[in-house]
Amino acid sequence: MTHHFTEDELTLYYYGEGRRRHDVERHLESCADCSATYREIAGTLAMIAAPEVPERGDQYGLEVWQRIRHKLPDRETGFARFSGFSGVSRFFGFSGFWEFSRFGPAVAAALLVIAAFVGGRLWQRSITPVDTVASNTSRGGNPENPEHLANPANPEHPEHPEHPENRANLILLTSVADHLEQSERVLSDIMNAPRGDISAEQRWADDLVDASRLYRQDAIDAGELSVAAILDDLERSLIEIVNSPSKISAADLDQIRRRIDAASLLFKVRVMSDELRQREQAPDRSAPRTSTSTRVTS
Amino acid sequence: MDATEAAAVLARARQGDSDAFRALVEQHSRSVFRLAFRMTRNEQDAEDVVQESFLRAYRQLGRFESRANFGTWLYRIVSNCSVDLMRSKQARHDQVRGDSIDEGAMELPAADVPGPERMAQSAEIDRRVQDALRDLSPLERAAFTLRHYEGRTIEEISATLGLGTSAAKHSVFRAVKKLRVALAPLRSQES
Repeated sequence: MTHHFTEDELTLYYYGEGRRRHDVERHLESCADCSATYREIAGTLAMIAAPEVPERGDQYGLEVWQRIRHKLPDRETGFARFSGFSGVSRFFGFSGFWEFSRFGPAVAAALLVIAAFVGGRLWQRSITPVDTVASNTSRGGNPENPEHLANPANPEHPEHPEHPENRANLILLTSVADHLEQSERVLSDIMNAPRGDISAEQRWADDLVDASRLYRQDAIDAGELSVAAILDDLERSLIEIVNSPSKISAADLDQIRRRIDAASLLFKVRVMSDELRQREQAPDRSAPRTSTSTRVTS
Repeated sequence: MDATEAAAVLARARQGDSDAFRALVEQHSRSVFRLAFRMTRNEQDAEDVVQESFLRAYRQLGRFESRANFGTWLYRIVSNCSVDLMRSKQARHDQVRGDSIDEGAMELPAADVPGPERMAQSAEIDRRVQDALRDLSPLERAAFTLRHYEGRTIEEISATLGLGTSAAKHSVFRAVKKLRVALAPLRSQES
């Protein structure tokens, strides 16, 4: 066979591509020139081993998310596209819609929850003996016999999940869990932020401080002392973040991080948030606790 | 995450659900980093590519066709981000050096060629390979990486880099030729 193959054809052959692979193979067996060229190409390419890629842990995806989530650009979808909301927001210089939508309503939500919580308690206290009697009678209870109130299956029993006070507690726990998750994100950002501008984190922390204060007070009222203790620690860290200079030095940032680390705050917030979520799933456990898991005791 | 769940997450992300997009980021970050590192051969550059790729993906998610494979689509974005980053670095580098990119590895002075013992060390070979790869144009490097490390066919490289089949093929060929020249001293020492 007189037809020789080009270097490009031999390169494709090396990579398992190209037409006439069978022809190339037969030709290489009989042609010393092409065979030498092929050996040289194959030898060079065989030297080029895949680089060792630095290891990235299981949490890497989360780290990437933490780095990019505040940089996500506006996307014109749904409401924004049809209502021109994004244009309006830009007109008013309100470009931080994402930031607002995440934390802005924190205080408003806290106030609503607390209103529900307080309302639940007041409603409970306002039940008159007549109401109670009527209620018991309608449920088939015996108004002459107060023992039925000792029955945990009775909705008026203080440990029953449907007891108004427990329902109010549950609303509080859910909201505090949400609040802790939002705070966790701010703390994570601070722990991972590059030195420089932390103004975005400060704005979110500022929104969360007020909510934190309200929730802490309410947790105390509800007898949720370990929740209140963590909210207290959290509030101090949030205030420190808010009061730091926006263009923070590496030393100042390290100092904040050391304090967060020293108090194991991020860890405690995570654990408490998980615990509250579990209690949400099991409403009968929503009764106030003065201590919680030993992992989060301060 | 099974296929049905993945499709649901993707659909939510396309509607602007940031939690769903977060799930996609968490799922694909490691493979994105791996490709970015192979393309750029630099850890910090790879991190920059990872970040930029996800931001681009987020911006363009509305244009993503749900029938397509998200991983493949993202792969294309990562490849193009890597090329863009390499181009911008090369432009800065050229500005500083004021000379051609084909210099360097191809013009090793004789005294610079290490002896056989040292040549046998894989670390040294890796260094030479890395130098040679760095001297490829960004497109050649991307095409070569996709072909050599990622095992992509010429057709796939063409689709990934938005090139015609012929251009993709010739990018690989040019890269291989340059690498053969750059690594010839190693080959001759070996034989």
